[in-house]
Amino acid sequence: MNESQTASSHSCCPGPGNFGPGNFPPGSRRSFMRLGLAGFASMSLPGILRLQAANLAAEGGGTKSDREKTAVIMVWKPGGCSHIDTYDPKPQASSEYRGPFSTIPTKVAGMHFTELLPRQAKIADKFSILRSMYQGAGGHPAGSMQMLSGDSDTRDKPAPRLPDWMSVTNYLRSQEDPRTNPLPTYVGVNPPTSYNGPAYLGDAYAPFSVTGDPNSPNFVVPNIGLTDQNEVKRLGRRATLRQKLDTIERAFDQQGELGALDEFETQAMTLLTNPRTKDAFDLSQEDDRTRDRYGRNTWGQQLLLARRLVEAGVEVLTSGLRGPLCGRVNNWDDHAVNHHVFDALRFRADAYDQAVTALVEDIHERGLDKRVLVVVTGEFGRTPKISHQPSTGAGNASAPAGTKQPGRDHWPRAFSNLWAGGGLQTGRFIGATDEKGEDSVERRCNAGDFLATIYHHLGIDSSNVLINDFNGRPTVLVDHGKPIRELIG
Amino acid sequence: MTSRDMDRLQRLVPWHLVGFLLAMLTGALSASAGELERTVSFVNDVIPVLTKAGCNAGGCHGKAGGGQNGFQLSLLGFEPQEDYEHLVLEGRGRRLFPADPDRSLMLMKATGQVSHGGGVRLVATSEGYSLLRQWIQQGKHFNSEGEPDLVSIVVDPARGSVKAHGYQQLKSLAHYSDGSVRDITGLALYECNDDAMAEVTDAGLVTASDIPGKVAVMVRYQGKIAVYSASVPLGAPVETLPASRNFVDELVFANLKELGVPPSPVCDDATFLRRVSIDIGGRLPTETEAREFLASADADKRDRAIESLLRSPDYADYFANKWTALLKNRRDDASDITSNFAFHSWIRDSLLANKPYDQLVRELLAATGTVIANPPVAWYKRVKDPKSQIEDVAQLFLGVRMQCAQCHHHPFERWSQDDYYGLAAFFSQVGRKPTDTRGEDLIFHKRGTAGSKNVKTGLTVKPAALGDNVGEIAPDEDPRLRLADWMSGESNPFFAKALVNRYWKHFFKRGLIEPEDDIRDTNPSTNPELLAALEDHFRKSDFNLKDLVRVIASSHAYQLSAMPNEHNLADRQNYSRYYPKRLQAEVLLDAFHQLTGATTSFANLPAGTRAVALPDNSYNKSSPFLRVFGRPESTSVCECERVQSASLAQSLHLINASDIKSKLATSNGRADRLSKEERPDAEKIGELYMVAFSREPRPDELRIALDYLAQERTDAAGKPVDKTKATRENFEDLVWALTNTKEFLFNH
Repeated sequence: MNESQTASSHSCCPGPGNFGPGNFPPGSRRSFMRLGLAGFASMSLPGILRLQAANLAAEGGGTKSDREKTAVIMVWKPGGCSHIDTYDPKPQASSEYRGPFSTIPTKVAGMHFTELLPRQAKIADKFSILRSMYQGAGGHPAGSMQMLSGDSDTRDKPAPRLPDWMSVTNYLRSQEDPRTNPLPTYVGVNPPTSYNGPAYLGDAYAPFSVTGDPNSPNFVVPNIGLTDQNEVKRLGRRATLRQKLDTIERAFDQQGELGALDEFETQAMTLLTNPRTKDAFDLSQEDDRTRDRYGRNTWGQQLLLARRLVEAGVEVLTSGLRGPLCGRVNNWDDHAVNHHVFDALRFRADAYDQAVTALVEDIHERGLDKRVLVVVTGEFGRTPKISHQPSTGAGNASAPAGTKQPGRDHWPRAFSNLWAGGGLQTGRFIGATDEKGEDSVERRCNAGDFLATIYHHLGIDSSNVLINDFNGRPTVLVDHGKPIRELIG
Repeated sequence: MTSRDMDRLQRLVPWHLVGFLLAMLTGALSASAGELERTVSFVNDVIPVLTKAGCNAGGCHGKAGGGQNGFQLSLLGFEPQEDYEHLVLEGRGRRLFPADPDRSLMLMKATGQVSHGGGVRLVATSEGYSLLRQWIQQGKHFNSEGEPDLVSIVVDPARGSVKAHGYQQLKSLAHYSDGSVRDITGLALYECNDDAMAEVTDAGLVTASDIPGKVAVMVRYQGKIAVYSASVPLGAPVETLPASRNFVDELVFANLKELGVPPSPVCDDATFLRRVSIDIGGRLPTETEAREFLASADADKRDRAIESLLRSPDYADYFANKWTALLKNRRDDASDITSNFAFHSWIRDSLLANKPYDQLVRELLAATGTVIANPPVAWYKRVKDPKSQIEDVAQLFLGVRMQCAQCHHHPFERWSQDDYYGLAAFFSQVGRKPTDTRGEDLIFHKRGTAGSKNVKTGLTVKPAALGDNVGEIAPDEDPRLRLADWMSGESNPFFAKALVNRYWKHFFKRGLIEPEDDIRDTNPSTNPELLAALEDHFRKSDFNLKDLVRVIASSHAYQLSAMPNEHNLADRQNYSRYYPKRLQAEVLLDAFHQLTGATTSFANLPAGTRAVALPDNSYNKSSPFLRVFGRPESTSVCECERVQSASLAQSLHLINASDIKSKLATSNGRADRLSKEERPDAEKIGELYMVAFSREPRPDELRIALDYLAQERTDAAGKPVDKTKATRENFEDLVWALTNTKEFLFNH
């Protein structure tokens, strides 16, 4: 046998030093890459994250020193919001395009909104508007997948191929040191779930979902802080009995599965019995003024709950603005067949404007504006050119069936999103669309840029972290995109 | 170093870098060789430096469709011509600056003198740097006169034994077309197939950890690969081995003896019956089965149990469940239901009838007609284009992952794009005609010459099976039939191997090759003799699946206890004990039903249908239990889509989900019934243990359970609870506690 015991390592190869896994010097992105690239061996994520932290520290500047504390609230407008009628008005465009809403100035010189957003206009110095967002897919599934998971495929698919940024973050966080906060990392308050999800990461990284109307007096979150004392007592008794009977040798478990099971079980018991977790979900502990400020409706209380949870330690929070507040079809998909687009926008404007304004202001007043990033977006904008089609049914914001009404269709070529908190630059309007609002023409930003900006706030190096898919193929979190520098400063 | 190696080294061209390495390795030649001016080659010198420095990695400049900051290199340097053009001709000529090489953007970036997103990749004093510098200075030539081609690489040693915590320095040599040999130890890339077992440095130094078994290090250089396989012995005395029941035992135990890993003893009857019923039938033994088995004095009772499971429909249900997910029997639309049911039945019936595996694959691959007339056509409904078809066929039936080779040479493999398109060509003549059912096509052979266009070269590639010539295929002949012939033929080294490895993993938790569908020279088996013997047996049995199961399950190797002895705790690939597996979602749900006496009814299926017998993924939607415990959605050809890891959601579900609570409390369920029966509590507890674990409770367990049942119950306010209610709840609690033990949640 050729066994040799020479431990001396060569210094003959080009490039910086020789490292084995688990022995990364700071700044060595390459070793980090190699691990992910392997596909040959399962990579050690804790190692990668430690390395990543070391990398960030070594490179200094532009990164979060208190990364573990950062959080993101994503407010999702399912169906796609008309950009031209909200954040990117085109008063000079012809009547076939511009819509009926007048333009109002905002607190930021040179930036105008439509009259639908008077409250946001007043606090426009506390957020930035990106007007030149675009992506490549015109269907709700593919459009959502572009924005949330960075999948560049423009075809609609029944299920996402790539994990969304929320599950990815949840997954990466789970690979770090055990979580001390009793709340889950990723919570959805009526979250978007139709066209996004953990894909190959597995359902374990899906959100802890809270559904229902937080404005309703009967609103309860299941599996959180049992209120029935008899139930609590019984659960405790059962758990003790289980522990006594669960005597199988732990020794047979080399891969730590049993240990993981115990850990999750403890977490679950905490969620069920720890008063702190129950409090985090309890809106009645907010004073009435705050509750009023967000709006006493589903959306207002949803976003208040979002703020409350993030403050208590949730790191990823998504909330979809849908339901009856949207109008007849419960979402923002304002085709003429669904809604009278302008009636619909007016119908939902008040609740929307109030809730978003309250969230942005509240984040600032509570000193969360560095730690918590708020982003408000949908999967795309809506056709600048107005179409006219017969309605398919009467209801809120829709005329009786057969009546022709105006609508706007899907428009991924240009739309706007709102960014606040997260230590970002505020009071800016970034990028521009052409005179009809049809194409992003200045500082065009794609879904990769959108995602990279979110990941940047979370301290995740999205162009270098690789996760293996089902085929063992390493997949980078963001393939083409960079944090939007006008936002991150 | 052998004298032959010395000879070879003496004949080496004294290349710049080589001299340096030789000085390190042999001490025979001095570094002055480096002073000899020669023309630096782009292909043979520059690309290796870029690859080693990671410049052309997938996340950096090797990224498809642009590369970072618009500087594109081919992935891992597989396309030197393109790289040359990008380097020399693009970037307005700034990348290379022959008049003052050190001012070249490439070198300034790589050394971090100007801001570089990838950080410092090369230091100015390194060999790599001076090589690049020299190449630029010499006029950045692509070719030098009479430059030899790389033919192969060799790693020395190719195999060996490394003690726990021991080292092995590898030496990598490149062989060129002119007969010259070059030491590339410092330039090659090294990857270990199991980081927990061994680590390898950039300089090829391997360090073993303390886990016994076989480990491989893949060496890569310019698209060529070599493998170093090491065995890491434990060296404990192996004094007693269970009797060998068949060749599986002989080869497993021989390996254990060689490595010095003493196996755990053969498990007891209760453990065996529960284990084998779950692994073959996907279910717990019934109470009656368990009692009869434990009471039987029959020396053959274990073999009989295996036979009876293999004959039962449970076997077909359980394995059909496995295959339907991999064959993507997915319900995307409500109208898919007919196709879903037909395809599932076809697979299940084929397994029940023990259709030879090669036959099953042939019927699937070469399916023509409509789903109703010929159910395997359903596969073509979900797997539509030739690329997905060959990728699925290769991974599922051959254990070969071809995805990479669609766009570039497979980095860990010999597969090229021609191999990829050669395989795709077999599916080039699949014709489709729409039928009355939405989304369903009639599949037929479209007359014509089969071929598939290589997107890189633009040339049409004729059908070829992973490098094997399958001969001319006439326009009238369906090329898929030729592929099916090749599949099970003698010249295909993958087909039988992939299946036996997949099934081995089903029973032993870990494939002999892991992942089970990633078979390649660079990922060798942990017990090659055993894998070869299984393969041979499977072929000689005419691809008899039940027989394969029988051989595996009747071996003592399969019947070892899961409890480690003082030596084999660290073992995770030599099968010196049974590695416990968590029950998969469907089996767990069925087991839960068996114990609680509750049922779940599934849409469009008869009452009492077991979860393992569900035809497709659509039931996950209505069953939070199946979803949360990771039942796959049939989107991937990889078994890894099934999530087998624990999660918070699972724990919350088991502890507090409403469906679990209602199953426990179901009227006429087991808890309800036991609470009403007039017989001693000890007997009732015995029944629960027999159903849950196929054994009697131990005295301490019996005492704990009896105590619990006897306790007075008070509510939160301290008032005593109604006796009937208290008794029923106590039984519910006991059932709950048992289902939440690791002994229940795992097959062990």
